[in-house]
Amino acid sequence: MEDDLLTQLGRSLVFGSLDDARLMAQTSAPPPVQILPEANVIKIGGQSFIDRGRVAVFPLIDEIVENLGRHKMIIGTGAGTRARHAYSVGLNLGLPTGVLSVLGTFVSMQNARMLNYLLAKHGIPFIEPAQFAQLPHYLAERGAVVFFGMPPYVYWHANPAVGRIPPHRTDTGSYLVSEVFGTRSMIFVKDEKGLYTADPKKDRNAKFIGKITLTELEQLDLRDLVVERSVLDMMRNATHRRSIQIINGLEPRNLTRALDGEHVGTIITAE
Amino acid sequence: MPGVTVATSLLEKGISEEESPILSELPGSKDGRHHVQSMLMRESLLDKDVQKSTETPVFKMLPEAHVIKIGGRSVMDAGRAIVYPVVEALAQCLKTKKLIIGTGGGVRSRHVLSIGIDLGLPTGVLAQLALADSLGNAHILGTLLAPFGVVAIPPEIFGHLLPLFIASAPGVIFNGDPPYSLWEHLPPSGRIPPHRSDAGSLLLAECFGCKSLTLVKDVDGLYDRDPRHHPGVGLIREIDSSDLKRRNFESLPFERVLLDLLENARQLRSFQIVNGRRPEQIVAALGGEHVGTIVYGNRKNN
Repeated sequence: MEDDLLTQLGRSLVFGSLDDARLMAQTSAPPPVQILPEANVIKIGGQSFIDRGRVAVFPLIDEIVENLGRHKMIIGTGAGTRARHAYSVGLNLGLPTGVLSVLGTFVSMQNARMLNYLLAKHGIPFIEPAQFAQLPHYLAERGAVVFFGMPPYVYWHANPAVGRIPPHRTDTGSYLVSEVFGTRSMIFVKDEKGLYTADPKKDRNAKFIGKITLTELEQLDLRDLVVERSVLDMMRNATHRRSIQIINGLEPRNLTRALDGEHVGTIITAE
Repeated sequence: MPGVTVATSLLEKGISEEESPILSELPGSKDGRHHVQSMLMRESLLDKDVQKSTETPVFKMLPEAHVIKIGGRSVMDAGRAIVYPVVEALAQCLKTKKLIIGTGGGVRSRHVLSIGIDLGLPTGVLAQLALADSLGNAHILGTLLAPFGVVAIPPEIFGHLLPLFIASAPGVIFNGDPPYSLWEHLPPSGRIPPHRSDAGSLLLAECFGCKSLTLVKDVDGLYDRDPRHHPGVGLIREIDSSDLKRRNFESLPFERVLLDLLENARQLRSFQIVNGRRPEQIVAALGGEHVGTIVYGNRKNN
């Protein structure tokens, strides 16, 4: 290889070790481009939202349609109660995390297909990971796409430190889409206003938290959280997506207001 | 499963969930969400106690298969003089053992990473780009191992069909990379994708409950300093992951993320690094001998 074809960094990468800490630090610059800076990623909860059926989903679909032309939307889906059933069956039979990840993918795919049919008359496609190369085109043409929120790790899903449930599920998969494309927002649509000090469905004394940083959240050491812990871990190392908002999609206009940049739920920021 | 039975019988009889005596009797079932009865029903999967309750023994899918990762730059890019003896060693192993062979991307991966970084592309895109180079190396090695019945399998079907291939062929080759692509995790420093072909090979060995993981590199194992730049440094024969983390070596002959992955592994307890320049080490390592450096995982929370 001709050395003069390579930049200084190129030379270091080709001839050095990719596991050298000093060399890794040099690969931060130049800063990454924002591939889709006008797009928003919206993750629609499985258990919290889609499992509620028509009463929850139809008004949200209407609100998504109202926002076509106003905002570009990359819509990811959660898995929900059927994933919990599949995980229970799999855990009982001793199946590894990677196989549970495959099962969770199937459920979030079902939810993506259902939303896709409800949005079909507006020309909005459902794309699988292999079709992400077409995402910019669909977004430019139709203003929205639907994808399944599970990251496509399947058998290669890393184990959690505790237990066997795949740690990187649909919140994480959706979040990573927002970070890699450098989108303008990451909105999690759930059935609660946002983050509470405990699960508000089980604890009446749970207190709402409107805005919090990762460090403050870590200090609280909550037993339960409204988003996957790995989203928070990844936010620490993120370049573009340094904040997320969790909103109650059951309340009309919340999604629209969040897309407009308003603070309607819990905002978690990296610092 | 009770949940399946309930749901199926509801569908057959055309009864809505609201009318179902079985589901409406469940405590808290009127929270507006349509649940399927299961151990995790209505639970937050983010609850630490719920997570702890899911720690149970794991079924091994391919307990007799060995996973072996052939280095990209260290072996594949080194040319015929190095690659052909490695192929011979693998062929010898294939006579008695089932091998799952992963390959690294080598120099071409590093080149595309450097161009991608220069163009400002994010980690997920870099991971997607690099997949092509390890896949190229899988096809190169697959060509040389074709006479022994081993070929490269397309990544899209590899995981799902692996048990079939292992039952019907002496071995298979895949691009060692995990399919993280655009969904690659963000490294704590810089932009290089942290899960490359060492990590993909380890994750595969762990998920399928394989017998061993061997990483074939161009050094005899782990040294406290890079032996290519510091002659005379001593080889570390065995070490555990927490000791390795504590000593915080500036450079490692394998991907750093392996330490975390190994600590969280339930089935795979260790991996061995061997030197591809000494192909007899490959045969010995797959035979269960300790020839290079063995890294053990310290399970936390156990």
